[in-house]
Amino acid sequence: MKKLLITLSFILGATPILAENVDITGTVQSRCTVNMDTPGAYGNPNAFTLTTLPSSSGQEPIVRFDVTLANAYHAQVSYPTAFTSSPSLSDTVAWTGTVAVAQMSSSDQSGYQAASTTSGSMRQYALAHAGTLWVKATSIAVYGGGQAKAFPGGSYKSVVLASCVAQ
Amino acid sequence: MTPTYPTWKMSVVQGVKKTTMELWNSRKDVGYYEVGVFDESWEPIPFVTAYRIIKIDYLSKVKFDIYIRTQDIVEARYICSLSKLRSNDESKTLLATRICSKFK
Repeated sequence: MKKLLITLSFILGATPILAENVDITGTVQSRCTVNMDTPGAYGNPNAFTLTTLPSSSGQEPIVRFDVTLANAYHAQVSYPTAFTSSPSLSDTVAWTGTVAVAQMSSSDQSGYQAASTTSGSMRQYALAHAGTLWVKATSIAVYGGGQAKAFPGGSYKSVVLASCVAQ
Repeated sequence: MTPTYPTWKMSVVQGVKKTTMELWNSRKDVGYYEVGVFDESWEPIPFVTAYRIIKIDYLSKVKFDIYIRTQDIVEARYICSLSKLRSNDESKTLLATRICSKFK
């Protein structure tokens, strides 16, 4: 018995300890993300108007807010008030627009539009519930300072600004 | 950037404080973000960082420090990252996204 124990202790002592490092990985994603759901496009219903309204062959841009923490963030969306690139324009452009909730992931969010506030072209939503919110922005640009002048031919771009701001 | 509530900490320079932020890119169509510091009225506040425009790959994150004069700390309310957009030839509306952390 004693010999067996001694032999066993030698065998165990000679056996390498097989240890393996097991990594634990994790990614912390943002609790509020903002992404483009639908890109916007201008329609040109007449020579002096550019609009994203679908009835004028435009497409309203839709922004998606994903929030995993309630009562922590404000969503702010602003419709454009200038072109970021365009042909040279010698006359003024009159800008109008709207921002509205397009879709929501939960009926809890149904009061967002009524409770929203505006400041100039920006509309702010208090994100009181976790979930996804889709917000659409409509943009209308009329050229010529009321004189109905035709937009020069070329490419026109504008920017919708969508923000997620800590409350 | 994850909207959070950062705090200012001591830096190695007298009269200057710093905070460390982390930027996370969740937009496949965006590769650059611009960092800004603003007051309550969204007016810009002077600050220093290694790069104001930061290149960051999709689903990657970058840590960076922001330095500000101690005298401006009372005014500084938001640190924001604003997506930078690439130009192309289509007539359309683009989306600029901004994520803002707030000093309480």
